[in-house]
Amino acid sequence: MKFIVSSSQLLKQLQHINGVINANTVLPILEDFLFEVDKNKLTVVATDLETVMRIQMDIEAKETGKVCIPARILMDSLKNIPDQPLTFNIDKNFSVEITSDNGKYKVMGENPDNFPKEPTADDTTSFTMTATALVTAINKTLFAVSNDDLRPAMTGVFFELNKDYLQCVATDAHRLVRYKRTDVSCPKADSFIVPRKPLNLLKSALPDNEDEITLSYNSNHLFVKHGTTQMSCRLIDARFPDYKVVIPSDNPYKMVVTKSDFQSALRRVSVFSNKSTNQVALNISGSELQLAAQDVDFSFEGNERMKCQYDGEDITIAFNARFLIEMLNAADSEEVRLELSTPTKAGIIKPTEMDDSEDVLMLVMPLMLNQ
Amino acid sequence: MEETPKVLRKIIHIDMDAFYASVEQRDNPDLRGKPIAVGGSPQGRGGVVATASYEARKFGVRSAMPSKRAIQLCPAIIFVKPRFEAYKEVSRQVRAIFERYTDIIEPLSLDEAYLDVTIDKQGIGSAIDIATAIKGAIRNELGLTASAGISINKFIAKIASDMHKPDGITFIGPSRIERFVSDLPVEKFHGVGKVTAEKMKNLGLHTGGDIKKLSEQELRKHFGKAGSFYYKIVRGIDNRPVEPEQETKSIGAEDTFPYDLTKLEEMELALEKITETVCRRLDKHNLKGKTITVKIKYSDFKIITRSKSFSDCLNDHNSILAAARELLEKTEPEGAKIRLLGITISNFPSLLSKGNGKCAPGQLNLF
Repeated sequence: MKFIVSSSQLLKQLQHINGVINANTVLPILEDFLFEVDKNKLTVVATDLETVMRIQMDIEAKETGKVCIPARILMDSLKNIPDQPLTFNIDKNFSVEITSDNGKYKVMGENPDNFPKEPTADDTTSFTMTATALVTAINKTLFAVSNDDLRPAMTGVFFELNKDYLQCVATDAHRLVRYKRTDVSCPKADSFIVPRKPLNLLKSALPDNEDEITLSYNSNHLFVKHGTTQMSCRLIDARFPDYKVVIPSDNPYKMVVTKSDFQSALRRVSVFSNKSTNQVALNISGSELQLAAQDVDFSFEGNERMKCQYDGEDITIAFNARFLIEMLNAADSEEVRLELSTPTKAGIIKPTEMDDSEDVLMLVMPLMLNQ
Repeated sequence: MEETPKVLRKIIHIDMDAFYASVEQRDNPDLRGKPIAVGGSPQGRGGVVATASYEARKFGVRSAMPSKRAIQLCPAIIFVKPRFEAYKEVSRQVRAIFERYTDIIEPLSLDEAYLDVTIDKQGIGSAIDIATAIKGAIRNELGLTASAGISINKFIAKIASDMHKPDGITFIGPSRIERFVSDLPVEKFHGVGKVTAEKMKNLGLHTGGDIKKLSEQELRKHFGKAGSFYYKIVRGIDNRPVEPEQETKSIGAEDTFPYDLTKLEEMELALEKITETVCRRLDKHNLKGKTITVKIKYSDFKIITRSKSFSDCLNDHNSILAAARELLEKTEPEGAKIRLLGITISNFPSLLSKGNGKCAPGQLNLF
């Protein structure tokens, strides 16, 4: 089999799917790309058995055929080859020879019949959304996903579909993000949990524009299609916690602050916090917010005060500063509203302004204050 | 590259005071307030003192001293036969107390341990308070005393625990470390015995401050690899982690054959049988590892091992066998005379990631 392909285009396409591949896998063939050539079309597939990504591109070819090519060596060589047409020659023993203007490179491929089969998209339900909507939904939720393998349901983002909205929810049991879009319409009310890795890959493979994305799912898998790029992944087979019951319906105390000022203050003060908790205590009274962190053993202390608008009784409540900083990143407005009730109950963070089609709600549990 | 931990750690070194002797005095009221020595009695040949009570220490009796010498120094001394089972039991009770405050415990012996309390399990707030609580629990629940040293690394914590013995507590914070180490006599340094101390003194090195004047190269020239360790330690740098002992580090099986194997098929068959045993043992312990090691012993008793690590766990018969075969084949075994083959799986990920999943103390949960 022989085909000719542009080196830079091939590299660009492979970079979208290369992240699927793990190094030193138990099954060596999982370190390969599967190349499938059919009538001037090249399809390349990468898989880790959980997530599969494929791209398709135009090439020059007279024959059809398949081969597995070791991913790492191919990527390393493509990165160093200046833009030009490359000729791939594959013989019966799956030996791959690449010819460029600069010279010839050889690598042993593997039998494509050993490459794992992809899940088939049977019984799927589909809906569409824009690339930017999906990328935004991932960016605003993925950071709050749990790393705790003992609670698998929380190691992914929960997608809740409805006729007039899509809602993405992520939590690690200490904090929670709910991102809602009303410009997405799904055929029926449904839900599934998507693991972290495929979402990370989608985030970098998808453009941040108005391109249309098709999402299809069945009981086990999610299939995402954007033009010639496709991804499928296994869904997390677990029950997402009943998060609705933990969202306080009415936190009476409300504080509004400038987001960037609040975030910078948290960054500065948390340098002096106890590193096992990152605890920063917020003391709000009148129109003043005080931030305080300390580590008794090392005699570290950080204190700042800033202006805020506050409607409520004086309160002192402590949070993990890292949680607050990350959550503030997910708020796009100039100001944020922090809604509180007592020092041991969840606080709510909301941007003060949002597009009509979007809604973000973030919850964070406090730290018990040391006496 | 010299890796410095991103976070300042909080390490406590706990040292039970005159452990064996204190347990004996606790369990036998007749011995209280008296000079006693746990160890071999002077009647036997070459008996030595394992531990002397503080009453005996006043006379100059020390651990590892010949019992005969102890009697010369302190004629009233009472010798007690050691009861190691009893000490082990008390040691377990002490450990149970540690476990209330941290999961990262490295026992050095029955009476000494390092604790990493950077993660404040109970949310007590400060390492000094944790150490005080531990000492209190040991006194109230076990009727014994311990000394604690608190600092940001093992080296300083250990020296600190020795500073106010018995029943002492000593904290050396980061700002005090440099000066503290500078004033420290060389024989107090971890790993510096009589011989090295003598050598250091001959070189005019009497304190940490003296060592600090030398470059790492010079120290290496005089003391070899230990030189680098001294170089760092006099600057208060000791990144050794507190290493809890793991229950299981590896699981494996091996087989010695009635005759030497020379054919590849025979070897592969043997590997298959060994793989089965390994899988059964892994299942039994509910473990999966990322590293496989194949051991080969030849007819001349020469032993080689070959290993490979994977990003994910080897968890079934087929993947273990495939990896074992690949490793074996790399040794060009056809024609070699092989007496024994073994497969070991190690690098169990659960223990490594244990610390990450844990949340900070005091952090409240949504569900």
